[in-house]
Amino acid sequence: MTRTEKSRLPSAGGTTLSRTRRLVFRSLLSLLDVLPWPWGEELLAGLFVARAFVGVRRLRAALEWASRQPGSRGRWRLAVALCWHHGRFVGRAALLGLRHPEQFRRHLVLRGEQHLRAVVGATILLGFHLGPPNTAVALQVLGHRVRAMGAKRISRGWAREAWQPFQGPEALLWVPGDWHRGAAMYQALHVLQGGGTVSLAADGIGRPAFALPLSGGTVRISSGWLELRRRTGAQVLPVLKHLDGRTLVLTVHPPLPPCASPLEREVEVCREILQRLLDDYVRQFPEQCYSLAFPG
Amino acid sequence: MTGDLILDRVQSIVLSIAGPDQIDSDAGPDTPLGDDGFWLDSVSVLEVILACEQEFGKIFDEESGPTADVLRTPRTLADAIRRKMR
Repeated sequence: MTRTEKSRLPSAGGTTLSRTRRLVFRSLLSLLDVLPWPWGEELLAGLFVARAFVGVRRLRAALEWASRQPGSRGRWRLAVALCWHHGRFVGRAALLGLRHPEQFRRHLVLRGEQHLRAVVGATILLGFHLGPPNTAVALQVLGHRVRAMGAKRISRGWAREAWQPFQGPEALLWVPGDWHRGAAMYQALHVLQGGGTVSLAADGIGRPAFALPLSGGTVRISSGWLELRRRTGAQVLPVLKHLDGRTLVLTVHPPLPPCASPLEREVEVCREILQRLLDDYVRQFPEQCYSLAFPG
Repeated sequence: MTGDLILDRVQSIVLSIAGPDQIDSDAGPDTPLGDDGFWLDSVSVLEVILACEQEFGKIFDEESGPTADVLRTPRTLADAIRRKMR
């Protein structure tokens, strides 16, 4: 993307209307947080479904997404499930009603832990904006030493005393003051050079490396993790997650093949593996792919 | 050229990493490194920091690293390097 194209993008900063919406939404989350888990999360999921029927644009996007999915599942049923899961994920990201990490741990399953245990030294856990949030938090709750690339989370849930260790420099790539992705990359580099583990999203913002066309949408993979891997020789383990009922299921996949040259070949090998993993994911959990159905 | 050796060197590092198609003719030491300036993405910012460290030695504490304020413009980065070199 050229500079001129970038400058034409709509500003991420909000208008007064979107600021008001954000304020109302934050207040709603605070209200729902008072309820015991998972009531607030489920109410929010229901509200996301209701919202889709009020503002038809979202429902239309969900239906369009559903119509592009193969299989016998009804289009409407899938569209509603998509909105419901989106609400649930937003609630989970805000830790709605989750008073204590132990509560979170009780509804957590880790698959492929053997891959995590088998790696030695610098490790990148490669997540995606598919399915529920909180990959790094889930692993931290299970006792793994992982630093997450991401800003400090702000919500009533995250403000609880019990969650503070998951907001500190031991849990996050710590950037004093305002969050800055470049500064976090520098931190990640040093954590990896010290043999640590960093969790980051492959499909976050940043310089694009390649795109993965999936049924119903495209995932744009950015190049930050490839750069970190090349500089540190870190092993990269893709991590996918989905909700099974109320349980968060985290699946750690085998490491990607090590760095190779030429660079184009390395990227191609990674692309093929990730394409297979995400194709499978979308086929199995189309209702949990909100980021593909509602891009941006 | 600003006549400030550190700032000049930082700016030339930024210019070389940003590439010619990213640079406005009026880009200078106070042009933002990110949006509406040199348009450096996170990987490019990392390259700038590492190139500066290669040039001036270790600048940032590994634990805390640079802040968003330091990474605002070539001048703020040069100021941080100057403070470290004192």
